[in-house]
Amino acid sequence: MKVLTFGWDFPPSRNGGLGVACFGLTRELTHEGVEVIFVLPRKQNIVGQSRFVFADKTSSKVTVREIDSSLTPYQATSNKLEYIDSYDTEGLPIIKSRTVLEEVHFFAHQASVIATQEEFDIIHAHDWTSFLAGVAAKTISGKPLILHVHATSFDQAAGTNVDPSIFKIECESFAAADKIVTVSQYTKDIITNRHGVPAAKVEVVHNGCDTYAPVRHEPTLSGLKQQGKKVILYHGRITIQKGVDYFIKAARRVVDVDPNVVFVISGWGDMTTQIINQVGESALSSNVIFAGSLWEEERDRMYQSADLVVMPSVSEPFGLVPLEALQQGTASLISRQSGVAEVLSNVLKVDFWDVDEMANKILAAMRYPVLTNQIVNEGKREIQKLSWKDAAKKVVDLYKNLLNYLTT
Amino acid sequence: MLSICPYFHVHQPFRIKKYRVFDIGNDNEYFNDNSETDLNNRRIIEKVANKSYRPTNKILQELLDNHPDFRFALSFSGTVLDQFEAYTPDVLESFQKLVASGRVEILADTYHHSLAFFYSVPEFEKQVKKHQKRIEQLFGQTPKVFRNTELSYRNDLAKWCEDHGYLGIMAEGWEKYLGWRSPNFLYYPPGCSKIKVLLKNYKLSDDVAFRFSNQAWESWPLSAETYTSWIHSHHGDAETINLFMDYETFGEHQWEDTGIFNFLRALPSLLTSRSDTSFKTPSETIKSYNTVGEIDVPDILTWADTDRDLTAWTGNDIQRDAIKAIYNLESKVLQTKNKELIETWRKLQTSDHFYYMCTKWSADGDVHAYFSPYQSPYDAYIAFMNALSDLQLRVSYSLEVQTKRAKERALKKAKVVERLPEIIPKVPFIATENFKQKKTGWVTRWVSRLRSLIVWGSENKFISPFYAKKNIDNKKNS
Repeated sequence: MKVLTFGWDFPPSRNGGLGVACFGLTRELTHEGVEVIFVLPRKQNIVGQSRFVFADKTSSKVTVREIDSSLTPYQATSNKLEYIDSYDTEGLPIIKSRTVLEEVHFFAHQASVIATQEEFDIIHAHDWTSFLAGVAAKTISGKPLILHVHATSFDQAAGTNVDPSIFKIECESFAAADKIVTVSQYTKDIITNRHGVPAAKVEVVHNGCDTYAPVRHEPTLSGLKQQGKKVILYHGRITIQKGVDYFIKAARRVVDVDPNVVFVISGWGDMTTQIINQVGESALSSNVIFAGSLWEEERDRMYQSADLVVMPSVSEPFGLVPLEALQQGTASLISRQSGVAEVLSNVLKVDFWDVDEMANKILAAMRYPVLTNQIVNEGKREIQKLSWKDAAKKVVDLYKNLLNYLTT
Repeated sequence: MLSICPYFHVHQPFRIKKYRVFDIGNDNEYFNDNSETDLNNRRIIEKVANKSYRPTNKILQELLDNHPDFRFALSFSGTVLDQFEAYTPDVLESFQKLVASGRVEILADTYHHSLAFFYSVPEFEKQVKKHQKRIEQLFGQTPKVFRNTELSYRNDLAKWCEDHGYLGIMAEGWEKYLGWRSPNFLYYPPGCSKIKVLLKNYKLSDDVAFRFSNQAWESWPLSAETYTSWIHSHHGDAETINLFMDYETFGEHQWEDTGIFNFLRALPSLLTSRSDTSFKTPSETIKSYNTVGEIDVPDILTWADTDRDLTAWTGNDIQRDAIKAIYNLESKVLQTKNKELIETWRKLQTSDHFYYMCTKWSADGDVHAYFSPYQSPYDAYIAFMNALSDLQLRVSYSLEVQTKRAKERALKKAKVVERLPEIIPKVPFIATENFKQKKTGWVTRWVSRLRSLIVWGSENKFISPFYAKKNIDNKKNS
């Protein structure tokens, strides 16, 4: 079975959980015997490394195709992307720009070209930026199309001010798709209620996580820890979708009771300035640390050093953070408005708007270490059952069913 | 002859509201949730009264009226009786009416539905005593047969019951301890000579209590006729069929639309249609039959989960932490002699609080989730520990006040003792030989008592008149 996959974020590019999810799923798909042609926007600086990402026994099964596009994830549609078009006679670059929306259409156009060149059985497109590419490939080849929804326009806008152009692309692509995969029931509910997609067309395939035991790193923030400070970590982009503002409000409540708590914000995003201002206004400057975007070893080290990880998302299709935290041996407090809350029991849960309850649970986790210890011990066992392997198996079954249905 | 011994357990805990860290030190009420959730105790009692207590009691009353041979046993936790009294007095009255028939036996229990026996026997004894008083007061009956919280049982508990005059005790008829033997006979515990153990026939009991509405069960739907034939098939190889279950099975665990009420209504006449089948209360069962062998239960046996041990309450770290914390408070809380604090502490011992913290997600997880008013076991633990932290604060505050007062008292006493020579000036008195002989023991006693009264009186700031009066009295006496 050969699958033409369109994605737009892939490690080692450092954007967010979507790349991690694409990578985890694709890796396990190849283990299941699926051949993958992965089409990516080229200017993402993958430097050909993704070939080596799969440099194990199944490496031959993944082909990476690059498209000359500067599409990057997590952008507003009207954002201008600048690129060097060509060089003038004096060797100076001619810089042109396209909006993200134009780039998406350009990506789709390139996709249809690739669809004529490659041979494949199924098309699998990850997230809205590659949905049009998937649809274009289907139009050219007539092969079945699966759309994989990692986030919707409603998540990115936290429910309000949905970008109409993204919404339009979503609706049109959903109509053209043969099957839609969502990463949670939560997301399935959104696209059946908001986009009007029939529920029977949608399959839920929860994301997984890596189940190997992680490397223990030297603890970070040891100075603070030695002072007896407790560390609460937020890890993620700083945007309206992620609910960081609620996190800061809860931090205020926590510090009122226990000034010995430090809140670390690891990440960056369009709301960073607003959050910095909010921290100042709440007089929390001495209790909040902005660590910037942390990745790989730095990220793992921060996970390991934290006493509790908080994911306060307003709307989170899945949310890999609590799984990553558990892997690194730290308990999490997550918002109920997330897909991962459906599959993870060993975690503290709260409604994102309930700031008091969020603060209460943070304080309880600090007061009663038995609580977090047990969450970690049982949670580590639990995430063994949430592997990418199971997710990949479900996807393969989906491929098979779809092919059977279409060929008989 | 085959007799049937039905026993229904009535219990509701005082559920702890969503008690937050911020409430510690600010809010002394842990059980007064008034939201629309299942943490609202009044709401639960009213709901279960409508679904179960009222309709079931009506049926049981009819059965008692129409079948002179029908009899059964009930056990109540003190916490449910308190709540009936406060929220649904008519339910309590209907229970009293059932008991007044003389054919309903009430069993002994712990007042607070606690696991105290396994953590503190003195505390356990207090709760049993309190329960007994309450039952006598409400129902005019002194329980003679013991059942411990969640049917938990161990050899030493049986021994305790024998030593305290109980005729019988109930336990789960679990193969681990029975081996090939049948639960449908009476047994005796090792080292005991009088007390008899009634074992629950868990298969026949759970057919009603758990499986009745399970559509995946091969015997669904279970008719009263089929069930009767199952029981009758034990003629010849059994003496007593002990059907022990939650009272709330009728209408609450098994809803009315499952047909549970009609099942209950039909059962007695069907069962007694064979004249060699009868109903017996636990006491009558104990009187009617001899024990057939020894049942040795060295480890805790309960009626819960597939493990039949305490793991539903103490199986994980947060449960053990919570239960340890509550019993660690015992000596301090008793020291306060503050009735309200002690009662609150006991309400927190109710086993349900720990049950809600159970993290057996698989197998028995559904049962646990069904019974829990919390969204997660961790939420239950947080509410419990926060409430307990507040109680700890109150206890230490109360003790501080106590020691402060004691210190003040001691200080005042010391001051008065210093001033004693001033207060009672030494009157030069030349005693004759004769007087000295007369000054016998009682005079000395009076003098010393007088002195102590002065000391006591000085705190209350009316030293002189009191002293004067006593002095006059004393003179008169002498």
